[in-house]
Amino acid sequence: MKTEADYYELFEAYQRGELPEPSRAELAARLAADPVMARRYADFDSLSKSLQAYGQRRTLRGKLTALQAELDAETQQGTTQDTGVPTMPTLYISPVERRLREFWGSHRATIAVAASVAVLAVFATLLGIEWWRAVQKPSSYGYTVLRREMDRIKRNQRAINRTLNQIDGVKSPEELNPGKFGGTGFALTADGYLVTSYHVIQGADSLLIESRDRQRFRAEPVFSDVAHDLAILRINDKDFKGFGRLPYSFKRGSADLGERVYTLGYPREDVVFGEGSLSARSGFEGDTAFYQISIPVNPGNSGGPLLDDRGNLIGVISGRQMDVQSAAFATKSSYLMRLVDSLSATPGGLGTISRNNQLTGSSRAQQVRKLQDFVFVVKVYE
Amino acid sequence: MGKGQPSYTDEEFVAAIRLGDDRALAQLYRLHLPMVLHLVQQNSGTEDEAKDIYQEGVIVFYEKVRDGSLELSCQIKTYLYAVCRRLWLKRLAEKGRYGGRLDDHEPYLETGAEADLVLAEQRDQQFALMEQALSQLGEPCRSLLEGYYLLDKSMQQLTADFGYTNADNAKNQKYKCLVRLKKLFFNHYQEEEQY
Repeated sequence: MKTEADYYELFEAYQRGELPEPSRAELAARLAADPVMARRYADFDSLSKSLQAYGQRRTLRGKLTALQAELDAETQQGTTQDTGVPTMPTLYISPVERRLREFWGSHRATIAVAASVAVLAVFATLLGIEWWRAVQKPSSYGYTVLRREMDRIKRNQRAINRTLNQIDGVKSPEELNPGKFGGTGFALTADGYLVTSYHVIQGADSLLIESRDRQRFRAEPVFSDVAHDLAILRINDKDFKGFGRLPYSFKRGSADLGERVYTLGYPREDVVFGEGSLSARSGFEGDTAFYQISIPVNPGNSGGPLLDDRGNLIGVISGRQMDVQSAAFATKSSYLMRLVDSLSATPGGLGTISRNNQLTGSSRAQQVRKLQDFVFVVKVYE
Repeated sequence: MGKGQPSYTDEEFVAAIRLGDDRALAQLYRLHLPMVLHLVQQNSGTEDEAKDIYQEGVIVFYEKVRDGSLELSCQIKTYLYAVCRRLWLKRLAEKGRYGGRLDDHEPYLETGAEADLVLAEQRDQQFALMEQALSQLGEPCRSLLEGYYLLDKSMQQLTADFGYTNADNAKNQKYKCLVRLKKLFFNHYQEEEQY
């Protein structure tokens, strides 16, 4: 009885073709006839082939590892990378750079994500702060007060002065400081009281009133009403002789929607006429102390008088809404009159308020001609 | 490559490797290593991982060539790229970091590499089983079989190495070992099959 090991010896010899002829034929015949034997041979065949293939694989892996080690040894001092273009020299990469490249290669995605998150966080924070500020003072957003900064004029005037000085050799120190802000004001009484917007004189150290014929007077604020954006000034210059009779009267009631209205003001050096209609009986965000009017107004118009067709003063120009076409706002004259009444009640208060109206019935141009002597530039020094 | 070594065309590479020319193999290995290094390193792999993947790829190619079953429908470069790309995708999936996309810098074609890889994988499993069986075989047997089948030592040399009295003794011992290896190997094999 043969053991399995004996069979294997036989099979190996058979496989290698070392078996002598009669035994070989005998074995072949037996393999064909005996399924158990055939199965045994198949197992042996599979095993020995696996073993050989495994041996080859191990040899190959050894070779490749050796190759890699050899390459690694070559590149220890630095790598040369083939640039792919035959005419170009190979690219030399130092070990440090190689490590950096590796780091960049493997962490690129992470770095990109981190950077995006950082950028987003910065912008989110900035926008959040901006939004928070907007929420903090909601009423002023979109509303622009119309006082004019004088820087541009200042520069022009200095240039003119310089030219004049060169020609005349005379200095006019008065001209040198044109003020920081400008607005419009108009006469309230004949004896030197004026009305303007509160925001025009806000933070003022001193005020200068300039008439159309370039006469200047010092003035001081007498009273201001911050809520309704009104201020009353008094001229305290000894040269001042009084305005003369006021041509317009002040309306105590409310004006009607759709009424044609106009204003005079100083958005630039010269007096400017503007006209439109009364669009609404409430102002910015429904403030009932104001009218909405459709007059195009500009910085410098603030404090200007708003008159209706018959020459009644119905309001004081205050501001405009940025994002709405031609929406300007004016304080209602009724609030001005209430302020005047409270001041008249105090001793040494205001003089008499004009109740005559010389403008009614005259044409617009005539009205303006009479009115313009009572509208002034208010210059503010800080 | 300008390194004072003969340069081969793709056909010459295949022919030389089929004949077992180690220099051609070394040349081929050196030629395409940068491509795979770049591929893997561009896709969140380290240099060592890249070398690993490249070796696997070259082994697949080499065994295919030695088999004589390689039908190259494209350049060797493209074939290797396809194989290594596939291997790296698999490795990434195992690491759980695969985002579903690779940055390709070479044209990627259907090269039949997929089918080759399935076969290669089966063979890898078989080799793993063989390794396991060999390690369970116990010492004198394992060295004897490795010496004879893997390292191609002659029976006489093995007889001397292991201190057998004569070659016949060693031979008998070898066949006994082979039977034991068969039992271990086929046991695992069948377990795997059932599994």
